This record gives sequence, C-alpha cells and structure tokens, in this order.
Amino acid sequence: MTASVLIAPLRKISRRNIFMFLALLGPGIITANVDNDAGGITTYSLAGAQFGLSLLWMMLPTTVALVVVQEMCARMGAVTGKGLSDLIRESFGVKITFYVMIALFLTNIGNTVSEFAGIAASMELFGVSRYVSVPLGAVAVWLLIVKGSYRIVEKVFLVACLVYVAYPVAAFVSGPDWGEVMRATLMPRPRDIIVTPESVTMMIGVIGTTIAPWMQFYQQASVVEKGITKENYGFSRLDVVVGCVMAIVVAFFIMVSCAATIFKAGVKVETAADAAMALTPLVGQYATGLFAVGLFNASIFAACVLPLSTSYYICEGLGWELGVDKDFREAPQFFWLFTIIIAFSAGVILLPDAPLIAIMYVSQVVNGAVLPFVLIFMLLLINDRRLMGEYVNGPVFNTVAWATVAIVLGLTLIMTADMVFPGLIAKMMGR
Amino acid sequence: MSLNASGIFLSAVLDRPVISQGGRELGTLSDVAMSPGDPLPVVHHILVKTKGGVRRVAWPDLALFNQVVVSLKGEPELLPELPEPESEVLMRRDILDKQIVDVDGAKVVRVNDLKLSLGGGNLCLAAVDVGFRGILRRLGYLKAWDLLGGMLHRRLAPKEIDWLLVQPLGDNLSQLTLTVTRDKLSDLHPADLANIIAQLPHQNVSAVIHSLDMEAAGEAIGEMEPEVSSRVLAQLESSHAADVLEEMPPDEAADVLAELSDEKAQELLSHMDPEDAEKVQELLEHEDDSAGGLMNNEFLFVTPDATAADALRQVRLLAAEIDTIYYVYVLDAEERLQGVVSLKRLLTAEGPEPVAELMSRNPKTVQVDSGQEDVLELVVQYKLAAVPVLDEQERMAGIVSADDIIEQFLPFALRWKQYKATRKF
Repeated sequence: MTASVLIAPLRKISRRNIFMFLALLGPGIITANVDNDAGGITTYSLAGAQFGLSLLWMMLPTTVALVVVQEMCARMGAVTGKGLSDLIRESFGVKITFYVMIALFLTNIGNTVSEFAGIAASMELFGVSRYVSVPLGAVAVWLLIVKGSYRIVEKVFLVACLVYVAYPVAAFVSGPDWGEVMRATLMPRPRDIIVTPESVTMMIGVIGTTIAPWMQFYQQASVVEKGITKENYGFSRLDVVVGCVMAIVVAFFIMVSCAATIFKAGVKVETAADAAMALTPLVGQYATGLFAVGLFNASIFAACVLPLSTSYYICEGLGWELGVDKDFREAPQFFWLFTIIIAFSAGVILLPDAPLIAIMYVSQVVNGAVLPFVLIFMLLLINDRRLMGEYVNGPVFNTVAWATVAIVLGLTLIMTADMVFPGLIAKMMGR
Repeated sequence: MSLNASGIFLSAVLDRPVISQGGRELGTLSDVAMSPGDPLPVVHHILVKTKGGVRRVAWPDLALFNQVVVSLKGEPELLPELPEPESEVLMRRDILDKQIVDVDGAKVVRVNDLKLSLGGGNLCLAAVDVGFRGILRRLGYLKAWDLLGGMLHRRLAPKEIDWLLVQPLGDNLSQLTLTVTRDKLSDLHPADLANIIAQLPHQNVSAVIHSLDMEAAGEAIGEMEPEVSSRVLAQLESSHAADVLEEMPPDEAADVLAELSDEKAQELLSHMDPEDAEKVQELLEHEDDSAGGLMNNEFLFVTPDATAADALRQVRLLAAEIDTIYYVYVLDAEERLQGVVSLKRLLTAEGPEPVAELMSRNPKTVQVDSGQEDVLELVVQYKLAAVPVLDEQERMAGIVSADDIIEQFLPFALRWKQYKATRKF
C-alpha cells in the first residue's frame, strides 16, 4: 500500500470526507489520549518536579501493564460485542454490578472534580476567575453532551491534543542530560529508587492516573460501538499499542521537562498550574501559555468524557434507557446521572476554600483502590472459555495482569496503612 | 408442594439451602434447569452446589421449593443423581441478566428476574421481570422501597413480560431472546428494526438478520446510516450479506459498499447476482455529491413504439422491485431519452394509445456530474418526483428521486438529529 492509496479518500475535502477521516481514529488512541487528563498532567508534572528523574524507571513497566490491560478490554469487546459493565452484569449478577457501579460512580465523580479543578487552574493562568470559567465550562460541557454529538466533539479535542507536542519541545529546549535520562529510564540503579511515604504516594498516583478504572470501560465500549469483531481485531490491537505508547511518551516528556527545569532549579511546586508558571523563566515565555492551553484542553475534554461515559456504563449495567438522542423523559436515569455529576463536580470547585488538593488526592486513592477489583473481574471474564472461546488469555498476559493487580493492591494497602498509622513506611524503611 | 398462588421469583430461591427430608443440609441451590413444555417451559431439575461439586436433582424428587427452603423427598444417598446432560438450559446462567429485545418498545431491555408459577404439578417459567422492582428485589431493597413508596403514595409498578410472548431466536436459549414471534419481527417498521439491530451485540446481529426475510432485512439496513449499515454487513457472511444487498435499491447498496474497504466491497459484489452487481458497480464510480452519486439506476422505461397498455404492464411487472414508479421514461434503441410519461397520464389514457403521443417531449434532465443544487432546482421548479440523469454520451443513466435530493438539503439541525439517533454516546 502506498501513501497515495492511504490518502486517496481525502483527495476531495468535503464535510463527509472529514467525518470519515476522523472516524478512522481508533478507540485505543482516543482512550489513551483522554488518559492524559488534568489528573494525569498534574501527576506527571509533580512527579518530575519533585522527584526529578528518579521515577522514570516506572514508565516502562507501567507501559507494559497498560498495554496488557487495555488489550484485554479491546479483545473482550471485539469477541463478545458487549461492554464491560454488560459482561459483569451477565456473569456476576445484578448485586455485584450494582456495587461496582457505585464505586465507579464515586471514583468518576472524584475524577470529574479534578477535571474542573484543571479548568479553574488553567484559566486562572490567563487571569480568568474560577467563578467565571467553571460555571461556563460546566454549562458548555452539558450543552455539548445534550445538543452536540459527543463523538465528533471527541475528535475535535483529539486534534487539539496536538498541543502536547509542547512537552517534547519543552523537554528538548530545557536540555537535560539525555544519557542520564536514558539510564534512569532503562537501567535504574538501586540507589536511585527512593522509597519514602511521598514517593510511594507518587508511584500510586502515577500508576492510578495511567491505568484508571474508567479507561477499561471506555475502551471496551468504544470497540463495541465501532463494531470491531474478532475477524478485524488485528487492527484494534495495533491501535491499542500505538495509543498506549503515545500516552506514555507524552507522560515521559512531561516528567523529563519538569525534572530538567523545576527540579533542577529547586523550585517548590504543588499543582500543574504552578509547574506551568515555574517553566516560564526556565524555558521561555510561551511555555506557560502552551502548558495552560494543554491543561485546559485535557481538562475540558475529560470533563465531557467522564460524566457521559459513567452514566452510560451505569445505565447499560442496570438495563436503563440510555443515549444522547433521548431526553429527560425517555431516559431519566441517564440524563440525571450525568447532570448530577457535572453539577456536583463544578459546585465543589466553587465552594469557597474548597480543598482542591485533598479532593484530587482522595480521587486518586479511590481510583487506585477500585482498579484491582475491576482488573480481577476482567481477568475472570477473559479467562471464561464459554465467553471468549479460543481468545482467552495466554499465560504471559495472565502473569502480567495478575502482577499488576498484586502490585497496585499492595501499594494501595501500604499507602492506606501509612495514612492510618503515619510514619509506617519510614519505619519499614528503617529510618 | 407448598407454593403461593401468585408464583415465586427465581431470585428468592437462588442460593437458598437445599436440605434432605431429615433436615440435613446438602448445599445451596445454584441454578434451575428447564425443559420445553406446553405452553410454558417447565423446571426439569435443579443444580445444587455441594462441597463435592454440583449435584443435579430431578424436579419430582423435591418436596418443598420456596423462598425459605428447598427440600428433597428423602435422603440424598437414596435419590438418583442425574448425570450432566450434553446441553441444558439454565435459568440463571442463560436467561437471568441477559438482554432481550422488547419489540413493542423497540428497545433492548435486561432480564432482572424470572417469575415461576405452579401449573399441573409442574413449575413453569411464567414471566420475565424487566422492571426496577426486579433489581431492588435482588438487591434486597424492595421492601424498604415499597415502604417508602407507600408513604409517598407512589408505588413502583411491576414491569413483567409474559413468557408466552418471549421467543428464543437461536436454537438454544443462551442466544438472545425476543418478546414476540419471529414473523412479527419482519412486520416492524424498518426504521424501528434498524434501531434495534444497531443496539445488539454483533454476535446476535446475524441471528436477527437470518430470522428476517431478505426484503425486511434489506429495508432495515437501508434505513441505517451507511456507516452503521456497512458495519452490520461486514459482520454477516459474505454470501448472506450479498443476498441482503440484492434486496436493497442499488443506490443505497452503493452507499453502503462505499463505506467498506475496496477488497470487502469487491468480495460482496462478486457474491451478488451479476445483474444487480453491475448496477451497483456503475453507481460506485460517481462522486458522492454529484447527481451520479445520488442517482438510482433502476427506473421504468419503454421504447417509443409501445402503447399505454404496454407501459402499464411494465409498471405492474416491475413496481415491486423499483423504488420510484411515478414516471415511465421513453428511450430509443441507443438509450437516448425521448420523453417521459407520468403514471397519472398512463392511468387516464386509453390502452392502445402509443406512448409517443402521450409523452411530454424534452424532459428536464441533469448530467451525472451535475451538482446537487442543479437537481434540487429542477425538482422544486418543475415539481418533479424524480429527475432523469444522463451520462456523457447523453444516454439515460438513472434517476434522482425527490426525497433523495431533499434529504441532502434538510436543515442541518434535522440531519444532526438523525445522525445522533444512530449513536449510543
């Protein structure tokens, strides 16, 4: 196949051709790009700013885990033609589904709150008060879902994700020692790996934001909606791998650029907005603007995706009417769910003295706590021969997936223990 | 056998202890197997989860079956143990929590609970609960909810579907089931049918399409957005998909094929009847937004020496297969358009009158590469139901019907609504 064949459908630019081209962007790439949301950018920036290059070694194993987990979802979607909440409902019954959905509802409210926090923070960098940006953002998101077609909006945002190019550029401009970066990524020395309460929390943050529970539901629903079957599943697998690698590459460059500038200069930062501010003297005057636009784009994109997809999975699992083409009367649960999520999340940000950091932090903890359970359900489902036939997991995938469950569960337990008994990790490390 | 008259819900007995006559606990009830009965399927045996694995107990060996306890007639050691059958239909595994198509509401719903009732010494599967009551019952919150609802004078109405109306689609029940008989599915409006098909998991799509007659399937697929219909067709076997395509008007078939990859489109065309395939192939060659891309190459025509009776015979012969029958075009031996006779004119004419005298000469035409605006202009200005399209050699290539061209000019909001209706989220 030559390049001319690839671009043949685009020779004539018309509305339909543009739609077609956008429709070809795969579910894996989209899911992975939504993954770099406000929480993601914040976490990666802080990881680089506070820990320098010392956490970079995590990125490779995290990529493997992410690819394995997301590939499993795509495969389940392609083979069964059903969403993850569908499958959980059909295999484990309504009781388990109900409680999983409650957990998912709570985590995703937490995540949505952090998206609105991202909108507030990024617009404040341009001097817009949060009391203006957040209500406007909430109304815009609600209208986009009800009046627009989310599927097209999604693609517009995706194109806007090109601002992420800013991060590799910033990383190169900041001029880190690339030999050092490579070594920290590929061959970490044991003494580089610091274990403190802060670093364990950050590790969970990085894993939790990279492999978030909503992503599995979202990925599988997109594969089903695209009508991918086991016959054309090969493309889908490629799409997942490309998407995951793209997401991690962006995360990697965010960490490197923050490590090479803010960490090196010893500036203390608490939020992604701080990080964007801190970059100006170090990289250049356009850095703040670019980072702020990137953060805003990521936040509002995820603020559309999360409430909508959450109400979608819940209604799917519990068998309620759903769909953006319905209205409040035809699909009341669906419409009320996402309206409540948006209103609540935006409302929290507007509370005077809202503890934003605490909220984002707790949402990450709940994310991390829910993830192992979602993974366990997925593993039980994907190894069910009645469901998957010859497409059940092989030994390698099972090992990686179970190891991910064990590691995330272990890290969450350690962090929870440290929150209950402060100083536990320090004691365990013998300090 | 103690059982209250209104029946018992499956959720009430699942996971209840199963005891012997002497009161020894054997295990818990894990599933209920059913066998076909007349008119309703009956419980054949139950599956008991014991420490040593699953044990099957036949229905006649049960003494009690209610929400408190399930008990056996006698001691387990003395009762025969059923072997595992080659295939069994299990209520929990195969029906509970699965999707069914509610044809009346034209939507897909979920089975929240199953209602069993006693009839002639057998326990029958009487109805499926698809309402919120079923969910609450299984979560154990129904009593609390009803108490609250009673205080507020808002009772939650049960939503149950009689099993007599439920019709399995596949040979076994693990496939999707429908709430009407199969032939009624073909009676649904194609647009509703399209809506249902678009909601189904892809494994079930081919089962549903197989259960329809080809014509209904073709109409339903024609109602979908080309993007969705090409997806559905790609999920069918090529020969079956080709059969469905043959039933569709060539212009719609071409729209669908244009969405597929070239190889897949060629493969489907090769499975089609050569004559139909050729018509579709011709249409595929035109630009989407030109008259050629919109046109349908099935139209009625006669030679100039035909009579009105001949022309009407032609209408009757082909009307079943052709979309637009309001005009009969008069073509010479080189397929050049000489004139056009409307159906109305034919009906009012005497049988032996030659069409050459009835027809209006110099009909308004467009070229295959004409823009959509040109077509619309003719339709509006001359109030035509269809506009003939001529190819480069001035031969008649097809017609663009008024509804096809108007669809292109619908207000954006209206088209947007139609587009969104095909989307889940």
